Amino acid sequence: MKIYHRFIFYFLIFIVMPAVFLMALIWVPPAEFLGESSRILYFHVPVAWISVVSFIIAGYHSIMILCTEKGRTEREYKSYNAAYSGIVFTILTVITGSIWAKISWGSYWNWDPRETSIVILMLIYISYFSLYSALKDNTNRTMISSVYLLIAMITMPFFVFIIPRVYPSLHPDTIINADRKIHLEAAMKLTLFTSIAVFTIFYGYIFRLMNRISLLEHRLQEKQNDN
Amino acid sequence: MNNRILNNIKKDFLIESRNRSAINISFAFAGITTLSVSLAAGGVPFTPVVHSIIFWIILFFSAMSGLAHIFIREEEEKNSLFLSLYYTPEEIYLSKLIFNIILFLSISVIVTVLYLFFLQVLPVYLFLFILTVVAGSIAIASVTTILGAMVSKAGSGSSLFTVISFPILLPVLWTAISLTSVSIDGTGIQEYRNILFLLAFSGVIVSVSYLSFKFIWTEL
Repeated sequence: MKIYHRFIFYFLIFIVMPAVFLMALIWVPPAEFLGESSRILYFHVPVAWISVVSFIIAGYHSIMILCTEKGRTEREYKSYNAAYSGIVFTILTVITGSIWAKISWGSYWNWDPRETSIVILMLIYISYFSLYSALKDNTNRTMISSVYLLIAMITMPFFVFIIPRVYPSLHPDTIINADRKIHLEAAMKLTLFTSIAVFTIFYGYIFRLMNRISLLEHRLQEKQNDN
Repeated sequence: MNNRILNNIKKDFLIESRNRSAINISFAFAGITTLSVSLAAGGVPFTPVVHSIIFWIILFFSAMSGLAHIFIREEEEKNSLFLSLYYTPEEIYLSKLIFNIILFLSISVIVTVLYLFFLQVLPVYLFLFILTVVAGSIAIASVTTILGAMVSKAGSGSSLFTVISFPILLPVLWTAISLTSVSIDGTGIQEYRNILFLLAFSGVIVSVSYLSFKFIWTEL
């Protein structure tokens, strides 16, 4: 990474991100019916977004592992690291969502279609890791776990896009809704989208670091095997 | 190719009929679970939704007890290498899929008859009920066939099979439960179109599994 790229990158993470936190907690007016609790929106939506993005990245690398032999080892740990960071963000989504549910709906868990879809995503991640660790001694581990993620990807649109729209939900309208309009004030919209953008960059930063660590570990392992 | 698939299915049925223990256990598991639910209920009336939830939970765990066996047996008996030499991965997949569909439809028939008899349920729309059981069973067998192959390669037992199957099977269970409830209750018949979802889901899973089975079965 070039020096000025790195400068912009660090500026966004260490200056803009704390600024967004302050905007979310102090500057933005509370939502009309939800009150002060609506401020959790600026953390809940970005982490939910990242958990889905991680799943898509893990799925993309899994498909590429099956399609091409080029860079298979590199893609293996990219897919694994995307799923690994994805499960952390999914757990954060569940925690922030249930806190918000307690304040708005009166209980931490209601089996709302949206809550169900995020729990399914978490279960898919857990199943993927269970399978991955069970295949420890299998030379075909990468391929088998990639096929599992590919099959899991087929079911995800059902939970994320179909179920919450078919069954009645208490959850507020998502950004992609039936009216194709975002029902937020300008200040809220600005803070939310800035928050999503910086969280995505932050995720990219963590993901890149994880991949570098995996690459170094892989090289070290190869060196030890040669000796 | 068709003859080769038929030969492999015939071989599987022949082996299973010689050593009936695995199939017997699957059928016995399904029967005992249904009877134990009926016994535990002790004649207490359930609502149609509760009936359909219990019915599909029994079918789900019956699938978990029996459908990975066909691949696990090949690994335990060290037959997988021989199979790979003689058959293409696609032929192996299709023959095991057909075997699992036949086996699970048989298990479903036993569970359905016992459930309707012992829990005294008479669906208002019997044809829709039967269609849901058939479409749901095909969907469960389609998903569990590819996952069974993965579990056999992992050398793990049925607990891993249940863990990895549950999230993938949820859309099927969700839809099947709602359709069964409609067929027992007789309200909301317009939901019958969801049968198409079950069949389409099976179609997509079978297509992806057919294309990707070689990555599981053959060491690349």
